[in-house]
Amino acid sequence: MTQGALVLRIVASLVGSFVLLYILHRVLGPRGRRWLIAIVTFAGGLFYGLEWYFPVHGHPAKNFLTDYIEPVSNMLAVVAAFTVGLGIYSLCQVHGRNVARQRPGWYNSLAFFVAMVAMFTFGLWEHYLHLPEPAPAVLPWPKAIYEVLFSGLFVPLQAATFSLLAFYIASAAYRAFRIRSAEAALMMTAAFIVMLGQVPIGAWLTDAIPHTPVLGFFRLEKLGEWVLRWLNTPAQRGILFGVAVGALAMSLRVWLSLERGTFFSEQS
Amino acid sequence: MTLLICGMGGIIVAGVLIAQRGRTMFIRRIPGLTAIDEAVGRATEMGRPVFFSPGLDGISITTLQALAILSYITKLAATQGARVIVGLRDPTVLPVAEESVREAFTAVGRSEDHRPEDVRFVSDDQFAYALGTVGLMQREKVATNFFFGGFYAEALILTENGQALGALQVAGTPDPTQIPFFIATCDYVVIGDEYYAATAYLTREPTLTGSLVGQDISKAMIVGLIVLGIGLATVLGGVTTHNFLLNLLAQGR
Amino acid sequence: MEETAGQTFWQRMQQIPRYYVYLLLAAVVVWQLLMPIRLPIVPSSATTGLYDAIKAAPDDKLIIISTDWDASTQAETGPQTQAVINACFQLKKRFVIMNMQPPMGVKLSNDIALAVGKQYGARYGIDWANWGYKYGYGNVLMALAKDIPKAIGDDFDGKPATTLPLMKGVKDIKSISLVIEITGLSGMTESWIGLIQGPYQVPFASAYTAVMAPGYYPFLDSGQMKGMLVGAKGAAEMEALVKRPGSATTIMNVQSWAHVLIIVLIVLGNVGYVLSRSRRGERAR
Repeated sequence: MTQGALVLRIVASLVGSFVLLYILHRVLGPRGRRWLIAIVTFAGGLFYGLEWYFPVHGHPAKNFLTDYIEPVSNMLAVVAAFTVGLGIYSLCQVHGRNVARQRPGWYNSLAFFVAMVAMFTFGLWEHYLHLPEPAPAVLPWPKAIYEVLFSGLFVPLQAATFSLLAFYIASAAYRAFRIRSAEAALMMTAAFIVMLGQVPIGAWLTDAIPHTPVLGFFRLEKLGEWVLRWLNTPAQRGILFGVAVGALAMSLRVWLSLERGTFFSEQS
Repeated sequence: MTLLICGMGGIIVAGVLIAQRGRTMFIRRIPGLTAIDEAVGRATEMGRPVFFSPGLDGISITTLQALAILSYITKLAATQGARVIVGLRDPTVLPVAEESVREAFTAVGRSEDHRPEDVRFVSDDQFAYALGTVGLMQREKVATNFFFGGFYAEALILTENGQALGALQVAGTPDPTQIPFFIATCDYVVIGDEYYAATAYLTREPTLTGSLVGQDISKAMIVGLIVLGIGLATVLGGVTTHNFLLNLLAQGR
Repeated sequence: MEETAGQTFWQRMQQIPRYYVYLLLAAVVVWQLLMPIRLPIVPSSATTGLYDAIKAAPDDKLIIISTDWDASTQAETGPQTQAVINACFQLKKRFVIMNMQPPMGVKLSNDIALAVGKQYGARYGIDWANWGYKYGYGNVLMALAKDIPKAIGDDFDGKPATTLPLMKGVKDIKSISLVIEITGLSGMTESWIGLIQGPYQVPFASAYTAVMAPGYYPFLDSGQMKGMLVGAKGAAEMEALVKRPGSATTIMNVQSWAHVLIIVLIVLGNVGYVLSRSRRGERAR
């Protein structure tokens, strides 16, 4: 297919979709829209469920629905991409209002626009223009600015924000962990064992204990591993089972449109 | 495995049908969910807004449940005249959250109090979302924070800053990873499958309570299978070829 | 700062201002970075499980290393990726990197693979390759299981993956010997186990940040995972196994003393709590 024909097909699909949605919106009342949502939800869930459970054959192993997985995934990706635009619109609306009305802290909203435009411009420029390097190992200036924005600002900022957690957990642990009961004391003991067992200092503290089957168990790294494997694991497994069954129930409720309130509106 | 899942699904649907026939089902008290009313009341008394975060996931089961809880909280807050600010990380959730909040205000007859700009997309990036949300909480001086949904490493940044602000915090997530951090920094925490029981607990609707009872029966069934499995493994002494339960469950599809 | 006037010493011990806590922690980190006290690292069974899984992988198949992490978890997942790639090169196992979420991870891990590969004289396209970022993880995994060339399309550099010598004979999931998931995100492992490891019995191993690792011990215990790296400690243990100490080993020195500081603070807070309660009890009597 030529590029022109492809573009025409995309534009026609977009226009056709808008027209169809507009007609549906006008023709169907609130009750009709609810039924449409319920039918589409059911069909979507049924498609994936059937594709998974229907017997497969041949090589590569597939059934009559397998070939449609990719186009459906692409369609979902396109819909998700549209919502990114929606998010940007929401941000521009909020911050634009702040700047236009000169609300307190409006300069922060201005910084948002500068950062967004800069990243957008130099990111696309760097990716699409493929400018030649002016000299060996010297980047073209749009790529250099992009590298400063991404590798010089964004990446270290992300890592720095994550590192804040270390300080927050120290202050949260100090403030919250009080031995108010026997269970709390037990939990504290387990926490200390695991915290020390997970770092080399735990092995160093109990280095005098030999690596024998019986005595070696009391080395902090072994004790910590035992707590994680034999105390933590059953508890996590229990929570996993509960959450999985809860997720199954929730999925069924959504699939069969039994979940009331938000997206399926009140029971009529 | 398919039979097991279909069996559990059947039990859940049966629970729903039984409840719809008018049978009352008992649900034990869940402190984190009972505290929602108190938390919204606190914000109303202080004249400060409520902040709600539905987590970082896109449109998923976890987020849909969070939005259902948001709907309940918004109706409660709208009735009492409190403001609800929603900060979102995934743009696919934005239209659903906007619709949820608008419908909640309309349902209690307070559509004129609804402020569309209170449902905001903050950022797609995890930590930019965390920092943007913290800034939002500090500028708006929120009295109550609700964190329901899928949270990850940024959870502690959100809750520790909320704690420093003096906000009452209620959190709920099905993922056990962040629960220790929520417990250390929040006043009430909803753990594991209590999270999926939230809408049933809050609305007491027969469909939802029936599904909850079906869930509990399914869990009892799993416990029974575990006990049977332990017995078989003990009796057979590690010989897995005759262990019909293991062979049945090991099948992929 | 919290109000301290009129409080006893024991009460004040429970309310050390958070800024002092932050300063103490920062001081400990800087101290250990500048004057490290080197401590022995003992590989755990979870780490040796992963190393043995790489060792046991057949030479005629590929290892997939799914690097689903970004800069925020780089301190842990970066050294994990480096250590795993080191092990693959050392044990002469061909591997591919891929990423499904977030997109940044594929570039960061590509940089690591290039740097480590240089030390071994590894050739891109022959000894290793980068399949790049693939959107839609559940669907990608389902497609990968059935037809890898079609699922992958182009590699990280935009070239068709089928043109790489490494991809010769690679058809579907049976061409894969081992999957190693390195991530700081929840939910990825469940997809791999549910869609690849379970149905097709492909050996699976993983590496996580220390915070999320406890939640995945059930999979290790049940045999669905062959091995697991737990945070920077797992990376340091892997570095010890491949005998190439790197940043994870440095991090563990720092982390050791940070943990000690947190324990000391918790103990101080609890000593203050217990003693202020007993003093209150005495005064009441």
